[in-house]
Amino acid sequence: MSVKVWALSTCPYCRMTRKWLDEQGVDYDVVEVDKLEGTERDDTIAEVKALSGGTSFPVIKVDDEVIVGFNKSRLQEILPQAAKQ
Amino acid sequence: MSEPVHPARRMFDEGTTLEDLKAYMAPFAERLGYKFNTDTDFVNEVLESELEILAETGDVYCPCRVRTGDPKEDVKIVCPCIHFYLDQFSAIRKCWCGLFIRRDVEDGAALHGVLAEFRKGDIEARVASVDDLRDGEGRGFKIGKREIALFRVGNGFFALANVCRHMYGPLAEGYLDGYEVMCPWHGWRYDVRTGETDHPNANVQTYPVTVRGDEVFVTVSA
Repeated sequence: MSVKVWALSTCPYCRMTRKWLDEQGVDYDVVEVDKLEGTERDDTIAEVKALSGGTSFPVIKVDDEVIVGFNKSRLQEILPQAAKQ
Repeated sequence: MSEPVHPARRMFDEGTTLEDLKAYMAPFAERLGYKFNTDTDFVNEVLESELEILAETGDVYCPCRVRTGDPKEDVKIVCPCIHFYLDQFSAIRKCWCGLFIRRDVEDGAALHGVLAEFRKGDIEARVASVDDLRDGEGRGFKIGKREIALFRVGNGFFALANVCRHMYGPLAEGYLDGYEVMCPWHGWRYDVRTGETDHPNANVQTYPVTVRGDEVFVTVSA
């Protein structure tokens, strides 16, 4: 299972999401989009728009499912690590 | 009156504090029927982030959305951004970050898990307080992409598409004669209750209006 989080360093729900994933012991990659520069930033924003339809954060991709916002109940459903809690 | 416009982008002084931001933002939110979240720690956390962004960029952009570099897009995420997203925020009763909550919400912390998903179906947006419009007055605003004209006649409120079918004049700025509004550009008349006009095939759409307490809501289909 692959989990990736696109986040902003300034966003409270991004922090809550990462803290929660850490607490659940979920391995995930995180990209802090506001810390990127130049074409890498532009490309990443384009990727986030394509995935989520917007530029609101956090965006969480669990395998093929894209979740916008800290949707804890949905994450609990699809992450086996969390379901054990 | 024209639609509520975003406060002109202003330069904040160096040394702007969290309390300065609160004092600056509260009236804009209040006018749209919103208040600061009742979760004060959360409010302070969001505003601290905005102060960081302010130091970096010179303006208070939303901490949960990214600046694209396009000024026309980015102006829509200058806090408070409520009036750009009246339809979505009204549905979830808070702004995307939850910094602001609708005035009728008592426990703002309970909304932290509520997400700004686009809902299918009708959207009821709070658009004004009863006292915002005098008898015989109109006001224009947007719900999503729709331009809406709201009129008050006596104690009744009526909402129409804010676009005259003749040359697209803004009906909200027209002259009200009883239940008829006269387009300010060329005088086409519409009944604000039905959207009907004497000109053939030129009626304008109407929208349901609900008044609850001193708040006026307009419903549009998503």
